[in-house]
Amino acid sequence: MGKKRKDREVQSDDDDAAKTRTKRTDIDKSGAKPQLLPSMIKNKEKRSAVYAKIKHEKKVEKRKNAKAREALESRALELGEELPPKKVPRTIENTREADETVCKPDDEELFAGNDADEFSSILNREQPPKILITTCRFHSTRGPALIKDLIAVIPNAEYYKRGTYDLKKIVEYANNKEFTSVIVVHTSRREPDALLVIGLPNGPTAHFKLSNLVLRKDIKNHGNPTSHKPELVMNNFTTRLGHRVGRLIQSLFPQDPEFCGRRVVTFHNQRDFIFFRHHRYIFETKENKQHDAKEKNKDTGDEKTPKGKVIARLQECGPRFTLKLTSLQHGTFDTKGGEYEWVHKPEMDTSRRRFFL
Amino acid sequence: MPRATTVESDGCPPLRALTFDVLGLVKVTETRSQQGGVAKVVERWGEPDSSLCVLAASMNDRKIDPLLAVARKNGAIELLSPINGDVRVSFSNNNQADVQSQEDNIVGLHLFKKRTPESSSRSCTLLTCTMKGVTSLRSTVIPKSLGDSTCDDTPTTWNVCAAGNVLCCKVDENENYALYGGKGVEVNIWDLATHTKIWTAKSPPKNSLGIFTPTWFTSATFLSKDDHRKFVAGTNSHQVRLYDMSAQRRPVMSFDFRETPIKAVTEDLDGNTIYIGNGSGDLASFDIRTGKLLGCFLGKCSGSIRSIARHPDLPVIASCGLDSYLRIWDIQSRQLLSAVFLKQHLTNVIFDSHFNDEEVAGSVAPLPPSEVKNDDEPVDGNEEESPPVVKRKKKKTSKSHAVDGDEEEPRKKKKSKSQAVDGDDAELLSAKRKKAKKSRNVDGDEEESVLVEHEKPEKTKAGSKDRKSKKGTKKSKGERIDEP
Repeated sequence: MGKKRKDREVQSDDDDAAKTRTKRTDIDKSGAKPQLLPSMIKNKEKRSAVYAKIKHEKKVEKRKNAKAREALESRALELGEELPPKKVPRTIENTREADETVCKPDDEELFAGNDADEFSSILNREQPPKILITTCRFHSTRGPALIKDLIAVIPNAEYYKRGTYDLKKIVEYANNKEFTSVIVVHTSRREPDALLVIGLPNGPTAHFKLSNLVLRKDIKNHGNPTSHKPELVMNNFTTRLGHRVGRLIQSLFPQDPEFCGRRVVTFHNQRDFIFFRHHRYIFETKENKQHDAKEKNKDTGDEKTPKGKVIARLQECGPRFTLKLTSLQHGTFDTKGGEYEWVHKPEMDTSRRRFFL
Repeated sequence: MPRATTVESDGCPPLRALTFDVLGLVKVTETRSQQGGVAKVVERWGEPDSSLCVLAASMNDRKIDPLLAVARKNGAIELLSPINGDVRVSFSNNNQADVQSQEDNIVGLHLFKKRTPESSSRSCTLLTCTMKGVTSLRSTVIPKSLGDSTCDDTPTTWNVCAAGNVLCCKVDENENYALYGGKGVEVNIWDLATHTKIWTAKSPPKNSLGIFTPTWFTSATFLSKDDHRKFVAGTNSHQVRLYDMSAQRRPVMSFDFRETPIKAVTEDLDGNTIYIGNGSGDLASFDIRTGKLLGCFLGKCSGSIRSIARHPDLPVIASCGLDSYLRIWDIQSRQLLSAVFLKQHLTNVIFDSHFNDEEVAGSVAPLPPSEVKNDDEPVDGNEEESPPVVKRKKKKTSKSHAVDGDEEEPRKKKKSKSQAVDGDDAELLSAKRKKAKKSRNVDGDEEESVLVEHEKPEKTKAGSKDRKSKKGTKKSKGERIDEP
């Protein structure tokens, strides 16, 4: 059909253009609209023809622009000049709404607040983190598997059976046993769908929605983590709320990573979604192929001079999931009498470019 | 298409608000008409320290020599000057000088506005209440300099509750009665003159399922200025209750608001509107006569509201809480006028009603009382119709008129605004007031010679109090007839 339309377009191109031209002049005379929009044409065939034409013109122009840019670049390369500046594409992230709560590095109140908050004792290495992991009342299938993976990821984490205890009782128990955090994995229809992180003894409670869970055994070519303390990568926690959530997550992990273990745990925040990944990495010297070829021709004897560049290779291990914050509660878990520091409300979702973390 | 989320601050009226946060900082936010009514932080007092977390604050909002009392987490109570933040007096709450236990924080603080006749002009009276219910009433003499800070004579102390935790404490406008409520403590009223409990509420009966909700009051306020019998209390089980001492011990009315505990309740000046803030950041106004929701204050407020303040003159309220924003709302349109990010979890907000738009804050020196006396006599004579609060303002402008000629205009505007708000009621009131004023003028002339060192605003206040109390008795009579 596309071909047909094209043919027709070629045939009727001239008279179409003439028509639109006449129309345009009419409109120009009346002064109502400067340009005829294809959506204003009632005849579908005419409309599609005009639309296809406009699209084609746009495409041609784009190609022309790209060629011109390439030519400029190649010329600059040849002459050894500075390359023309690369244009940064406009994404949702870099056009996000201006937020005055974004942390600034020279904010002394921020640091004073950090020193005073609930995680400072763990993050200043005065106290090692100790995590209790438990579940919702009824769980099966993927829930226990996730917990198994989580225990492998988080050092010093223990799994306790939920039984029929209230969460408030568990928090009390964990407080007495000097745990520093409680993680509750909530499953619904045999699929983990929420994560509750409670800071102890009076830290905040964060409630996350959990999605896109891939367990370790489902990842192809996954690695098996060692028992070393992992490194932690936190990305893009910019606002005050993000900073606080970041510190809450940070307080789950020991603050003295063992770099020989080459394990890294990543929490990457993008558009308010926190992506969790767990990798093993290795640095390898990759030899250049040209060198290889030459050396094979000559001889492979001398390996004293390291050739090629050092690259890092990653191997994913551990689970992979995405978190989204739904609420941050002041104090420990209390659904009835709790005070919220932040709750997601539907009226916040009026813009795609507004982010809170 | 991106939508702008910047607050369209269509002229926040010039005002000055003080906020207190968990790091013990006091921040002053001002809006000025010259800058298009955008709120800005102009001053910050104190050093960030979590042990100095402000738990309660109270301000004596008089024109001359205002005073601000701040209770901190480490048990210290400080008297500050709300103009430049100087610490006037600082003392510890417990007179034994032992270390304040962690649980026994101060929950309520009230700085008395009226003065006892025998006390000197430089003393002030403070009511403090701790979580365990230990209430103490003390008077302090403000020294000339901070060096010779003398703690007063021994405070009168009594215990409000045997068990449970007191969470809210309020003193009524005439400062004769105090209201307490908390976790496991039914709201009760104490007479401050005799230190006796005069009334206790009774918890509502079990519901239809036979479930009894445990007593847990989180906030309370007296409903109107001239009547201590009616008050509103918010509970942890998201219920708002209206009590009437003269009617019954159980709530006269109760209604639910959303699903998180009511954290702040503030009354309006008209005595039948209340503002409610809850634990998930919802702010709404209710008509307490009917219990109907008038409307919600919508903005992207997402953190628990800890404090609401009503401006005494302007139709404006301020709310602050755990989302670290100070928000200023218009009462009529319920629109957000301005929002300021203050970086810390805020605990309290207070309006400084004597803020002058033109003058530079901080340079305001309290005027000697003699000057005031000379000035306000003629003004008092020809200013009959304006309500008393506005009148005080007016006096101020007339005083500063000599200094700055341009000041008159914004004042006038404000006045007209406030009158427009009052509407028909204002006319009635003004008629009443005329009568009252005539009689008062006579009294005033006689008193003048006697009370030399007392300032004029005090006197007007006393006069208005008389009026109020009269009104109150009338009202109460009417109510008693209604009673079965």
